[in-house]
Amino acid sequence: MRVVLEQLTKKFGDVAAVRELDLEMRSGEFVALLGPSGCGKTTTLLMVAGIYRPTSGAILFGDRRVDHLHPKDRGIGMVFQSYALYPHMTVAENIGFPLELRRAIGKPERDQRVREAAGRVEIDDLLDRRPSQLSGGQQQRVALARALVKRPDILLLDEPLSNLDARLRHDMRGEIKRLQKEIGITSIFVTHDQLEALTMADRVAVMRNGRLQAYATPDELYARPRNRFVAEFIGTPPMNFFPAELGSRNGSVVARAEGIEVELTRAQLPRGEARQATMGVRPEHLSIVSPADGNVTGEVYVVEPMGREQIVDVQVGERRLRVIAPPGFTGRIGDRVGLRVAAERLHFFDPTSGERLS
Amino acid sequence: MATVVAPVPGRSRWLVLMPYVVLALATLPILVLYVWLFYSSFFPRVEGFRPIGDLTFDNWRFLWDPASVPQMRNRPPVIPLTVNTLLFATLTSLISLLVSSMAGYAFSRLRFKGRRVFLGGVLLLHSFPSVTLLIALFVVLRTLGLYDKLVGVILVQTAFALPFGIWIMKGFFDNIPWDLEMSALVDGAGRLRTWWRIMLPLVKPGLLALGILLFVEGWNQFLLPFVFMPSGSQQTLSTLVRGILGEGRFVDYGLLTAVGLYYIAPVLVLFVLAQDQLMRIYAGGVKG
Repeated sequence: MRVVLEQLTKKFGDVAAVRELDLEMRSGEFVALLGPSGCGKTTTLLMVAGIYRPTSGAILFGDRRVDHLHPKDRGIGMVFQSYALYPHMTVAENIGFPLELRRAIGKPERDQRVREAAGRVEIDDLLDRRPSQLSGGQQQRVALARALVKRPDILLLDEPLSNLDARLRHDMRGEIKRLQKEIGITSIFVTHDQLEALTMADRVAVMRNGRLQAYATPDELYARPRNRFVAEFIGTPPMNFFPAELGSRNGSVVARAEGIEVELTRAQLPRGEARQATMGVRPEHLSIVSPADGNVTGEVYVVEPMGREQIVDVQVGERRLRVIAPPGFTGRIGDRVGLRVAAERLHFFDPTSGERLS
Repeated sequence: MATVVAPVPGRSRWLVLMPYVVLALATLPILVLYVWLFYSSFFPRVEGFRPIGDLTFDNWRFLWDPASVPQMRNRPPVIPLTVNTLLFATLTSLISLLVSSMAGYAFSRLRFKGRRVFLGGVLLLHSFPSVTLLIALFVVLRTLGLYDKLVGVILVQTAFALPFGIWIMKGFFDNIPWDLEMSALVDGAGRLRTWWRIMLPLVKPGLLALGILLFVEGWNQFLLPFVFMPSGSQQTLSTLVRGILGEGRFVDYGLLTAVGLYYIAPVLVLFVLAQDQLMRIYAGGVKG
């Protein structure tokens, strides 16, 4: 089922939580709403669910306008951040509750579908337990089964993984993604964790202050962030930024910042006029070399080993740059090192509007 | 709950015992009264705290042979009075529970015009002593043809119980996370079904506690039945106790204690049985 949001706006009093949001999700697509807290992502989800009524704008499921419909008439399943399992019901009763409300489905069919849904998320052996007797991961599965049991057209997930511990989160990430693809159900999930959004979603909508910042595939968001906010928000450790000056020399474009001077290709900045810009470079696109070989030299500020790699903070003039170094790097605090910049991976943004240049 | 601190040996053991000693001393007078009430009903006469004569069930004759008790002669028999009292207490608590749980839910969850005014008004009503409304109520009951009828007093008592009930139930509903309700709505339930299937079971401890309190309040209620049901057949036990007490010059204390004990026994039993439930109304909240 295709989902379209048109000029969707929600105000609470004078405060606009979501402003003129336009978003289209293809049938079967897995879309993440990503943003810091207070960006309007959950409000958007609750409007799609029918719990909040939009102040203005439209929501379409397929070709049908649904923003005047009650949640029960929208054909949606939802998993809440807290899972919202009914504490006084067993797992089977929890999963069966959405079916209980449909007269057309008799008890035998209901039982069968409860077992089927439970089987899908591998909790068939827990049906007689109460939610309080389950672990966080198991509760999460029950919530998923309850959301899917009525075979909804659209699945909504509100921060589905934030209450799980790190390891379980990793497992569930993969599992939810696989389940979504298996069923082929159009799904929207809300998260503040960019890693979750990048790993799970087909497309990610980045929001800030109620406005859409970018809507693209994870690859594109990462490789060509549309503005500075997106560039900063996506990727860990975050991108390094510095003010730069763009100019030309001998026919090619040159960027100068903090003693770094890099020659750029025409493709990167088609309009190569001289101007001020904010330069961004991801930690993985900087490499540590001997002081003589780098584009710039600096001093190791701190080293954080992460096992597979190390995060090294290097003090360059006034600024501290984050660099990813291989595990073999043996530099110590205070060592002088050179940094080489991968020129083709640099990002440039307008210093005032934050929009991407190029 | 209070943190338990391991007692340090020696001097501090007395400090640990202190609160118990103080509380025991403070409770003693009440306890003595109960014990006195109990044994007085089994002796012909008690002077001060000293029983006179032999153990007897004479004072309890009102139960099986009311005709032989002079004070009972012009009064309705005990059993119908007990049934009346039971009906009065049960019905007032049931109706109050139903209305409080619906109103409490609405006040807790729905945003409607005048919600704050209503809530404030309810609280204001709670602080009204019932005595001040007696005359107005009398006129209302007379007009409605409910004067001197059990139904009328039940309605009045329910009305007085509601403010407390609504606030208590609102508190219990407030503690239920919104997610549960949203989830029920998405799952396909309407408001009424959400209330019945999801919310009510979660406030069951509150309902039980409030139900018991209201029952006891109804059982002990004296003023309303006394004023609004003057004729014999509709009276309750509390008016009987008062009748015996106000009999005239000679009060038969043996009879009075027996009837009194008979009257409070159900309440005492209920309290003992329902202690856990009653604690929750003050501990508040829903179990996780």
